[in-house]
Amino acid sequence: MMQNFRLAMAWVHTWFGLLLGFVLIVVFFFGSLSVFDREIDRWAIPETRFEPQPMPSFDEILRPAFESMQPTEESVAAMRGRVDGPMPAHFDTPIRWGAYTTHRDPVLGLFAGYQVPNAKNPDELVWGNRTIDPRSGDALPDDRLKIGSRFFYPLHYSLNLHWMDLGYWIVGLAALVMLVALVTGVIMHRKLFRELFTFRPGKSKQRSLLDLHNLTGVVALPFHFMFAFTGLVIFAGIYFPVTHTQLEPLHELHEVLDAEETGLPHERAGKPAAMASVDAMVREAQRRWAERDMAGEVGFLAVQYVDDANGYVSVYRAGTDRIALTGEGIHFKASTGEVLREDPPPSVVERVDEFLTGLHLQHFRHWMLRWLYVFGGLMGCVCLATGFLFFVEKRKRQHAKRGESGARVVDALAVTTVTGMLVATLAMLVANRLLPDHLPGRGDWEQYSFWGAWLLAMAHAFLRTAPVARARLAPAWREQCLAVAVMAVTAVLLNWVTTGDHLLRTLRDGYWPVAGVDLFMLTGAVIALLAARRLGLRRRPLPVALTDEEAAHA
Amino acid sequence: MASLTVSRFHLVSRVAAAVLGGYLFVWGAMALGVAGLFALGMSFHDAEHLCAMLAFLVYLVVFLWSFAAPDLRRVWLILAGGGALMSVLASLIQHALI
Amino acid sequence: MPEALLLSLAALLCLIGMGWLALALNVHWKQVRGAASRGVFTARRLRAMAALALLSALLLCLKVDHATMASLVWVMVLAAAALAVALMLAWRPRWLAVLLARAPHR
Repeated sequence: MMQNFRLAMAWVHTWFGLLLGFVLIVVFFFGSLSVFDREIDRWAIPETRFEPQPMPSFDEILRPAFESMQPTEESVAAMRGRVDGPMPAHFDTPIRWGAYTTHRDPVLGLFAGYQVPNAKNPDELVWGNRTIDPRSGDALPDDRLKIGSRFFYPLHYSLNLHWMDLGYWIVGLAALVMLVALVTGVIMHRKLFRELFTFRPGKSKQRSLLDLHNLTGVVALPFHFMFAFTGLVIFAGIYFPVTHTQLEPLHELHEVLDAEETGLPHERAGKPAAMASVDAMVREAQRRWAERDMAGEVGFLAVQYVDDANGYVSVYRAGTDRIALTGEGIHFKASTGEVLREDPPPSVVERVDEFLTGLHLQHFRHWMLRWLYVFGGLMGCVCLATGFLFFVEKRKRQHAKRGESGARVVDALAVTTVTGMLVATLAMLVANRLLPDHLPGRGDWEQYSFWGAWLLAMAHAFLRTAPVARARLAPAWREQCLAVAVMAVTAVLLNWVTTGDHLLRTLRDGYWPVAGVDLFMLTGAVIALLAARRLGLRRRPLPVALTDEEAAHA
Repeated sequence: MASLTVSRFHLVSRVAAAVLGGYLFVWGAMALGVAGLFALGMSFHDAEHLCAMLAFLVYLVVFLWSFAAPDLRRVWLILAGGGALMSVLASLIQHALI
Repeated sequence: MPEALLLSLAALLCLIGMGWLALALNVHWKQVRGAASRGVFTARRLRAMAALALLSALLLCLKVDHATMASLVWVMVLAAAALAVALMLAWRPRWLAVLLARAPHR
């Protein structure tokens, strides 16, 4: 295809990296924010600003909460077409109850699945969700959008684009291209180790951009590779659903064998049976974990076939002390509390798989490693952003001479995805503090402000990058940096005004979720201001003669 | 950038070979891997997970190879043909097991 | 708080180790020490000391956390340390002279 191997690899790096880099930077940035998704939730939902709680007593707190639940309207509506006859007004046969928490969650998420009478597929359930205060069992407002864990987090793997799972596929392709870009980048680099520590801010803009691109790409190379790779592995079932399509018969054969082996019931007996104390089962599970030298809290608790003779309770450990995402599940007969099964120790392959997924999903308790992940993710963003800028810098004079707009378009898209993304994020947080408390569909409005602000930033980016076509610096960069600084400070101030939680108070109380989000935004504001100042300095004393001379030189 | 001495059609075909041809090849490899390893006595889940992990590394390699290989027809033949062949083999193994 | 202390120590050792690795490269040696090139012997010694520092950092990480977690912490701290050294070389190269306090002048 191209003249030689190295040029072919460079072509792949440049063009695939550019095209999917705009997706990757979104994935990296919101992935970085997702490291602290629970903390962002606290910032966005002030009612939930209290200390993380362990899994509460099932018998006293969870059971009454589950019993008062019903499936959501959306779930019932989605089911309507798959039922013979009308839907009942009240669903009274719960099949599955589940409660899930982590060491960072003050609130507890519950879900419940209900049997639907006359369903065409009797295994299909309708689902309800609730968030409770685990100290009292009281329901918390469920219409509040958990901006961190329900918007930023899914944004980083699905772009919140759910039509035909399109978002997942785009992100999947982007992750593959990330791997490709890393390998091709190493091939192009040549002096990987000799220039490992090289950054020359004093040299030409093109040179220092490339230095920074290489530096942030290479020092965090293991991080970049592992995160792109493990992200793909986590969603392997979506990208390559081999065992659910072509090999479905084999899969079913295995399921039958597996069910025989585990000995856990796979359907309701239809005979009611009262449940024994689940708290006693939890104590037994914790005793068994401690025996295996893995003492720990409960992360996930589930009841299958509620109040049925075949019912069983599964207790899973919260994986806070190791990378591998393992549950060490122990299953009890619900009516008697006897142990039905302990999950066997994982095989070697499972161990590797659990390590890889756990590495990405980070359920562990390690604040330093969390911050290092944020660092790695932001390095990825810098690497991508400098890649875009290098692309523009390398071509803008040539394009200006030839009257082409390629460099300008790329610069506008770079503004959109770098500073525009920050504008959108901050707009959402500002809207979160400004929208009235009882506004119907409040969460939707927050999302509209996110996408709306991003669109505006994009429009601004395209309008204010015209000088790039004349080989100059786009004013859009500086203006959006200023916008970011102003909005970040606004968000922090609004948090103070609307909740009274100013930094002095949150820092004094050591309430890090809110203090951390505020400090992060303020740091961002300072960096944005510094950047704007530097861009302003570059802008002013730029005599036309110089640019012409440079253009001639190029 | 890297000087392109090729037609637009060739370029599109090259990209399609890497993305789509690569996908077909990896699909086939994964199907054959799962069915084959299961037939050899590995547990189904282990075979599934192991192949999922290897799949993306294989994808990475064939993706790069599709741009590095000189003969594009050969790339298509190996990726699409090989992928189809492996898928058929996987189905045959499955048929024999059930 | 001994865990935080051990991890901070590990981070410091990574920083020092990365600094020595950088100084083993002639370009950076000159940035820090001025004109004269470093000798082959010095380079080898710097690399050996760097390896020792980075290895001790790994051992400290292993002392604090489960092995799987410790290895990740170590890899990530290495990355952060390498970046810090690169930025120091770009803006404050003289600071790295501290690491050469006992290296032979030549």
